[in-house]
Amino acid sequence: MLRLINVHGFFWLLLAIPAIGMTIGFVRDPVTAFDLIHPSGEFSVRFMIIAMMLSPLRAIFGRQRWLDWLLARRRALGVAACGYGLLHLAFYLYDMGDWGMIAEEALIFSIWTGYAALLIFVAMGVTSNNASQRAMRANWKRLQRLVYPAAVLIALHWFYVDGEYMGMLVHFVPLLVLETARVILMFKRRSARRDTGIATG
Amino acid sequence: MKFGQAMLAVAAATAMQFSASPAAFATGKMKCDAGPQSSWKSRTDLEAKLKKDGWTIKKSKVDGGCYEVYGVTPEGQNVEAYFHPVTMEKLLVSQRGKVIFKK
Repeated sequence: MLRLINVHGFFWLLLAIPAIGMTIGFVRDPVTAFDLIHPSGEFSVRFMIIAMMLSPLRAIFGRQRWLDWLLARRRALGVAACGYGLLHLAFYLYDMGDWGMIAEEALIFSIWTGYAALLIFVAMGVTSNNASQRAMRANWKRLQRLVYPAAVLIALHWFYVDGEYMGMLVHFVPLLVLETARVILMFKRRSARRDTGIATG
Repeated sequence: MKFGQAMLAVAAATAMQFSASPAAFATGKMKCDAGPQSSWKSRTDLEAKLKKDGWTIKKSKVDGGCYEVYGVTPEGQNVEAYFHPVTMEKLLVSQRGKVIFKK
């Protein structure tokens, strides 16, 4: 029974539970679309951040069973981030209800940063499969690295749309700390290799 | 391993420090010194007045001692607006974080 936890499909299902809950809530009462905009966005960014934390955690802790477990499921996390981003957009569009207003708002900084980030997410999401990896080769990794500018856009989007920074900071500061640690470690290791005369690379 | 543990501790501490988890909505933009709630006009009256002026109201609540309204202005903007609970005066209007009116 515990083996079930390791099945990938089960993990996908876990990630989908909030979305299922939100969709049921919306279907029961469409007026709640307004209240669902924020939580759907938060889940999107949360899964993105967890996925982004894995590489720096690996650099810091080395091989660990729990890290390997999560790394094997990183694709699911990324696709979930994309999915919740689309759900976030869907609730937003439904709540706005008017294409004129939607187009008008799209020019506001706090809103177009969201669209830009989602565009990156969708590009990453649709290529999150083995066939795309084979077809794109080196470009596949390059595309996945767009998660970094996407993260910046999301931080800006969240900060400016809410008009306050707490929620955004709570989510982004731990990631920033880990990425900083990873960069520091990278430089330390490189200079250590240089000192001992081992070829870097 | 020691370095790793230290970094994780820093990350956890940082996360916990910011754990004064804010409400799901952008809030806390305004404070009103409006006195006891017994002297406040009713929130439904404010909503009715706004609707008459051409607003569409999605949601309203008390925030910082003011009334906070989420809705659409007569000009068609999706906003978050703060009103004084006694004078019903418009204090602040912001559209997706952009302040479009401030008293």
